[in-house]
Amino acid sequence: MAAALSLRGITKRYGTLTAVDSFSLEVERGTIFALLGPNGAGKTTVIRILTTLLRPDAGTALVEGFDVQRQGREVRRLIGVVPQENNLDRYLTARENLVMQARLHGMGEAETRRRVDELLELVGLSGRRHDFPDTFSGGMQRRLVVARALVQRPRVLFLDEPTTGLDPQSRRAVWQYVESLKDSMTIFLTTHYMDEADALCDRIVIMDHGRMLVDGSSAQLKERLAHAHRYELQFRANADRYGAMLAGFPFVRSLQRSGDLFRLSLAGEEYLKPLMDAIGTDDIRKVCLREPTLEDVFIELTGREVRE
Amino acid sequence: MFKGAFSIWRRDMLVLRRSLFSELAAVAASPLTFYLAFGFGLRGYIADVEGVPYTVFMAPGLITMTAVSAAFDESAWSMWFHRKVQRTIEAYRVTPITVYDIVIGKIFSGFTQGALKGAAVAAVIFLLTGVRFDPAHLAGYLAHIVLGSMVFSCAGTVCGTLLDKPETIGKVQAVVIMPLIFLSGVFFPVSSYPEALRSAVMAVPTAALFEGSRRALLAGALDGGLMAILAGTALAAFAATVAIFNRKMAE
Repeated sequence: MAAALSLRGITKRYGTLTAVDSFSLEVERGTIFALLGPNGAGKTTVIRILTTLLRPDAGTALVEGFDVQRQGREVRRLIGVVPQENNLDRYLTARENLVMQARLHGMGEAETRRRVDELLELVGLSGRRHDFPDTFSGGMQRRLVVARALVQRPRVLFLDEPTTGLDPQSRRAVWQYVESLKDSMTIFLTTHYMDEADALCDRIVIMDHGRMLVDGSSAQLKERLAHAHRYELQFRANADRYGAMLAGFPFVRSLQRSGDLFRLSLAGEEYLKPLMDAIGTDDIRKVCLREPTLEDVFIELTGREVRE
Repeated sequence: MFKGAFSIWRRDMLVLRRSLFSELAAVAASPLTFYLAFGFGLRGYIADVEGVPYTVFMAPGLITMTAVSAAFDESAWSMWFHRKVQRTIEAYRVTPITVYDIVIGKIFSGFTQGALKGAAVAAVIFLLTGVRFDPAHLAGYLAHIVLGSMVFSCAGTVCGTLLDKPETIGKVQAVVIMPLIFLSGVFFPVSSYPEALRSAVMAVPTAALFEGSRRALLAGALDGGLMAILAGTALAAFAATVAIFNRKMAE
């Protein structure tokens, strides 16, 4: 299958900070692709390069075969962008926001009318078409931004953290729209929500410090941690004492506590027996093997340190 | 070509149309206050200036001041607001239009608003004060307004492009724009300056604007030298603004 997006050796520096470091990637047409990473990993820089807002210092980036540096206008004809922050025009009504987008894409009046009405219907805002975005909830504004990105029928849709700050119902609504678009375009999204990437995406790349760490489907990424021997232990009593014991075992690779519940990973399956022998069974309420989640993979790869 | 610029200009005009009456009422208030305060309040103290009553002398300057101030304000605040607050400039930049479309659209929006607001103040002054001019002089006067509004719209666009803090735009208005306007002959003729300074003052584009527009409206005289200074400044300002905006967007 042909590549919708192709990055080769992309590097972008801000002064002494290398935001993206020799980053290479190919995304096939018709894929829902997620780029994950902690704050400052370089995700938004990659999107800004692909959407022609930023010029890389080195490397080439192609969108549907067009070079983002030399053929920016052609690239922008083919893309739709949902930025991190809603950048709607608050002095234009919902309908006028979409009409403006159509005009900037050089669409004719009749086609604009048809397409705008169709999109307002799709995102459930046709009853509010003459209202200004300031009067909308966060979810409604987000849906309008998604609709605006779709006016020109893009071949590649970029969604930069599309559901940040939305309530669960609005998040699900955005997911539904994104899923419904899957057959007609390539979707490139960045998100902090692992469940979002898990539910929506065919392929996931996790990056950090400007470099790719891992690439695969959600199932493939979780499989990487299948050998990690992750367990959950819950105690009826003396949780503090057991916590100190668990932290002292050399074969406990990681340990997280939430009340009387401990999540830990062992260096190997063979350490389960010595662990149970040491702590006994008197105070144990629950012990179980835990399937790795995408979040476990993310934390394992990018660390626990909070990023600014 | 420039369809994007036209779309942006059209958007700005739609927004202006929605609040046209309140905008024009607000913009007329300040020059009219100056006119009443200086023209009538000081009538007993100021005799004719350059052969015409002071109320007539200051009217062209006040209209010009309204037009160019409105062009600066609209361009500066609109560019800043769309770039820093609403971030619509970024939304425009991921469509097929170019940065030239954006900056040209914004310059012409500022220019149009300046011209419209200047016309509104002119209408109010003519209607309320009985000041009359020969209609044949209007074309020359408007030529000055067009060039002046273009210069100030470009200056505003540069401020809105380069300045990130709104208070800095306010400081530029207080420290640069207002002195440039007030010291260039809105309320007094440039001939009031000492002889040694006069030719230097006349080379300042705002002096060329206020002095040239007054001569055009009151006497029907078109000064080629002053027009050349204005036209050259407008052209240079336009080229510089487009280049500065382009450079800023590439950062």
